[in-house]
Amino acid sequence: MSMLASYLTLAAVLFCIGFYGVLTKRNAIIVLLSIELMLNAVNLNLVAFSKYGVNPALTGQIFSLFTMTVAAAEAAVGIAVLIVLYRSKATVNADEFDELRR
Amino acid sequence: MATVFSPYAWLVPAFPFVAFAVLTAFGRSLSRTGAWLATAGTFLSLVLSLVIAIERMTGAAEDYRGGYEWLRIGDFSLPFGFEVTNLAALMLVVVTLVAFLVNLYSLGYMKGDDRISVFFAYVSLFTFSMLGLVLADNLLLLYIFWELVGVCSFLLVGFWYQKPEAKAAAKKAFIVTRIGDIGLLIAILLLFWYMPDHALDFVSLHNVFDPQNGGTISLGITTLIALLIFLGAAGKSGQFPLHVWLPDAMEGPTPISALIHAATMVAAGVFLVVRTFDVFEASQAAMDTVAIIGAFTAIFAATIGLAQNDIKRVLAYSTVSQLGYMMLALGVGSVPGAMFHLFTHAFFKALLFLGAGSVIHAVHTQDIREMGGLGRRMKITAWTFGIGALSLSGIPPLAGFWSKDAILAAALADRPWLFVVGAIAAFFTALYMSRLFFLVFFGKPRGEHGAQAKESPGVMTFPLLVLAALAVVAGFANTPWNGWLGQWLTGNAEADHASALAIVVSVAVGLLGFYIGWLVYVKGAVRRDVLSSRLPGVVRLLERKYYIDELYAWLFVRPLRALGDALTAFDTHVVDGAVRLVGAAANGIGKLNTRLQNGQLQTYGLAGLLALVVLVVAIAGRRFW
Amino acid sequence: MLNFNIDFTGEFFAFFLLSVCAIVGAVLAINFAKVVHMALSLAFTFVSLAGLFILLQAEFVAFVQVLLYVGAVTILMIFGIMMTKHQDEEKARSRPLLETLAAIGCLCLFGILFYAIRAASFPLPAAKLPDNNTLEIGKLLYSAYAIPFELVSVLLTVAFIGAVALAKREEEKP
Repeated sequence: MSMLASYLTLAAVLFCIGFYGVLTKRNAIIVLLSIELMLNAVNLNLVAFSKYGVNPALTGQIFSLFTMTVAAAEAAVGIAVLIVLYRSKATVNADEFDELRR
Repeated sequence: MATVFSPYAWLVPAFPFVAFAVLTAFGRSLSRTGAWLATAGTFLSLVLSLVIAIERMTGAAEDYRGGYEWLRIGDFSLPFGFEVTNLAALMLVVVTLVAFLVNLYSLGYMKGDDRISVFFAYVSLFTFSMLGLVLADNLLLLYIFWELVGVCSFLLVGFWYQKPEAKAAAKKAFIVTRIGDIGLLIAILLLFWYMPDHALDFVSLHNVFDPQNGGTISLGITTLIALLIFLGAAGKSGQFPLHVWLPDAMEGPTPISALIHAATMVAAGVFLVVRTFDVFEASQAAMDTVAIIGAFTAIFAATIGLAQNDIKRVLAYSTVSQLGYMMLALGVGSVPGAMFHLFTHAFFKALLFLGAGSVIHAVHTQDIREMGGLGRRMKITAWTFGIGALSLSGIPPLAGFWSKDAILAAALADRPWLFVVGAIAAFFTALYMSRLFFLVFFGKPRGEHGAQAKESPGVMTFPLLVLAALAVVAGFANTPWNGWLGQWLTGNAEADHASALAIVVSVAVGLLGFYIGWLVYVKGAVRRDVLSSRLPGVVRLLERKYYIDELYAWLFVRPLRALGDALTAFDTHVVDGAVRLVGAAANGIGKLNTRLQNGQLQTYGLAGLLALVVLVVAIAGRRFW
Repeated sequence: MLNFNIDFTGEFFAFFLLSVCAIVGAVLAINFAKVVHMALSLAFTFVSLAGLFILLQAEFVAFVQVLLYVGAVTILMIFGIMMTKHQDEEKARSRPLLETLAAIGCLCLFGILFYAIRAASFPLPAAKLPDNNTLEIGKLLYSAYAIPFELVSVLLTVAFIGAVALAKREEEKP
């Protein structure tokens, strides 16, 4: 029993909490933040495997770096979209965005 | 001498059929003309039939067969043809004559009815079917016309379909005769199966069942076929226990009752047995059955006739009884007797029904207790009806006497106890006919219409006169000392069962019955209620027709109805329930999907998550079971 | 299956502390009523995760984590919150069916993942990571992963320009 399982379990806990936040939170900004939390849980997995995996290598860390970069880009664009939406609908509540139905 | 007119026999049914087609197509615009058209069509048929019959009587006696091939299935070919024999020629004359007179009579009787053209169209179709049945040269073709006759009787009995009783009677007639029809159909199928080359024509039947080359078909099968054919005949001819539809068929217009009871529908059953008589002759058991059923029906219906108060119902039960006589004659092996009685019966029964129709036309009721004293007001009707009644009762020298005597003589020669039964039935016949006649035409008017009753118009009384004349003279075609008709029909000059005892007894019972009727209903020497006060149970039993209808209702109708109800319940609850469940399931899934498609990403995400969980459980969880 | 025979080493103690911090931060983020509190609570979780990265000998990743998430993303979100003038309070339990189902689904997902983790057997690592991680990462990024690195920089630029364009265009409209 290595530490790896503990890290993976922690990552699963965080991922599920993030998922729950994505599904239930009404404020779209918190939804975005919950997505960041899920990405972070994945990063934790990558980094844990890079140390405790069968072949420890830095590839996992590099991958997590790329993930963070993409997440940052996503957060920036997401916030921009939210602001646009807020201007048109005067709200950021996720349950009031139902354009997909039309 | 070669026959000249027989090849044109197919024209006899063709005329009424053309009339039917024209009336069906243009009936609405023709109305009165259409009725005359139908009558003219039947008249042409009558003329042609007479010509054919006279030609055959004067020489050209060989049978003529014509037609063409209808179906070919492998080696089996089914002809669509007609056959003219002396029997067929006689039937042609009887059917067309009665049909023509009924048509003529209906011109007066049905005047003013809205659907008169429909009525005449049905009558023409009825005539056509019966003529086709008579001419058919094989059993399958006969069966087709047989069913057509059934359909027409259904249509005509239920002609006044506004009346619920008429509707019920039409249904009853159709369903009860259907039981017999199924018997006939099975018999035809059995014959098709067992006959060499699957031949169904009557000539082959005659050859196969000839006693000289017997053994082609085993005795058991022969008996079975004969009994099944007899079942069909019993259904159409109103033999016990399938007689129940015939009295109810009185709900139809009176001319139709005359047509059904005299010439077409009920004669078809007797005609069928005569046509397939070779099959019956091959099986003694079948002959016994026919004789016993016939005798029983004769006396059974005659006793019911004693207690009925509806003029047409009395006549209906007398028809059932007389048909029993014909079957009795066939059962004791006397085809000439049966055909002779069919021949004379057609005339006097048509006469009686048309006379009854004339009476009903005048007083607007059918209850004989409300009539009386009509003799002075309706002289022609009374006289002709009296001739018919005397003829039916078997008083010499009228037609009914000779034919009934022929039957009784044949029965005496074959089985004496059947003769006794027949004689008792003849006594009852005379009794109820005298009761009917005296109640209607003698005494004082009892009903409200009786006093103003008028004689019917000439178009109605003319057929009465013609039929009355025939009812007088038709009997001389086959007297005990002159068996001309029998020879002509069967082709061999066998000695008739002339018997002095039979003549004496039949005259005696006829006169005795009429005398008692006169004593009771005219002279008043015996009080009318002497029987009903002494034996109320018996009278009630007769009035309710031995509770046969009630028995059938209890025995067949109620269980079938219960079964139908159960099946309906199964259908509405289980089958429809399943269908509704499927519909509701689709509807529910649709509603769920609608709720799901609310445009919110979070809901979609949730659905995705749940689907993922289910998918993982379904795929990965398989290893646990 | 659940054999918790763990050596109470210093690493484990640190892991335990940091993971508790991360989970508490995440749970609080879900449960807070005010949006700003939620964002700050998540920032706490990100910091805890940075500590965990250090435990995993990923100092550079931890550094980037703090820089990017705590420093950039969270601050960006807080700016977003301020700019959108949100209804400050999260309305409590307005969609019970959705929340219940989401909770059940997430628990099931966690159960599946947990079962998979416990059922899997992890062989011991064959080697150790080099000591000077940061140097090695720098070498790798500029040799083996040069093209992805460049592509990511392009992506970042595009995202940046796009975000500006999106947010700005609407301003010119009135």
